[in-house]
Amino acid sequence: MNLTRLALVFTVLSLLGFGGGNAIIPQMHADVVDKYHWITSVDFTRYYALGKLAPGPTTTMAALVGYAVSGPLGAIVATLAVFVPAGILVAAFGHYWQKLRGNPWRERFARAIAPVVLGLIWAGVVTLAHGALDSPVTIGLAAVAAGVLLWSNWNQSIIVLVAGAVGAIALR
Amino acid sequence: MISNETAPPSILAIARVFGRISATAFGGGQIAAIRREVVRNNAWLTEDEFLALLAIAQILPGANPTNVAVLVGSRLRGVLGAAAALAAAVLPGFAILMVIAAIALDSHAPVLRGALRGCAAVAVGLTLANAIEMTLPRRKSLIDLALILAVGCSVVFLHLSLVVTLLVFVPIALLVRRPAAA
Repeated sequence: MNLTRLALVFTVLSLLGFGGGNAIIPQMHADVVDKYHWITSVDFTRYYALGKLAPGPTTTMAALVGYAVSGPLGAIVATLAVFVPAGILVAAFGHYWQKLRGNPWRERFARAIAPVVLGLIWAGVVTLAHGALDSPVTIGLAAVAAGVLLWSNWNQSIIVLVAGAVGAIALR
Repeated sequence: MISNETAPPSILAIARVFGRISATAFGGGQIAAIRREVVRNNAWLTEDEFLALLAIAQILPGANPTNVAVLVGSRLRGVLGAAAALAAAVLPGFAILMVIAAIALDSHAPVLRGALRGCAAVAVGLTLANAIEMTLPRRKSLIDLALILAVGCSVVFLHLSLVVTLLVFVPIALLVRRPAAA
């Protein structure tokens, strides 16, 4: 039964996906391309690029794999399987974390970890820039967007829409 | 139960914020968008609280943006808040991805690809702006700046995995950022 196997594969990916969406990509490739031959490696890369470019988590690309396997129902099953199990686990942990409120260790952990996470965020900026800023237009767009966000309260979706329009004209 | 904190936002308000981000964060940058809404625009969480939740989101399995959504929802409104935030963080992006895929996988559509590249570039700008905003208040703490730089360089140049980075730097941070003795 393809649908059951689909659900199983993505549930396991969901629960083993330590390190975020990008960390499960190699394992997802191994499962859906090499092991079950649901899609080709070229398809996989295209799905990944679309998942990166579309809004929402990159992991949503699981929906495209599901669609390739069993149509719309497959897309829904794969999406539920890849998000819900990890969501339940995280919610349970979040509940426990709230219970620690007022515990000095919780405050201490929160204060100490802040600069570490900031370092990771800066590393993420470099990684993202490496992939997305490949021309004067894209570099300019990123710089202008950063400036507008820092010095105004513009709604972010307006900036995204404007950049989309600029890209459609200048980046064809 | 009586709480002396300000009333938390409604389930609907939580779903609206995460739904809007899921529908508009083209090319990534959702964490930055979430932080902008939750910390800066709505003041539902403090910066340190948000960063602690982000750290937990990164350690636990699952996509980071949805994990952050679940944790923020859970912190604000318990299980229902977590469920609403997760659904809102996934559904709009899912729907839009299916539409984009239907168009992009069928044709070459250079206009669409150009538009998406523009959106991806802006995502970098968004993440950069947030990194700057979050780092500025810490500019007077040399320890913080050194930690930020050390972690950033370890990941960018030494390609340390997330798990190794956290295992190395969290104990260091706990040691050097001991609360000052009163």
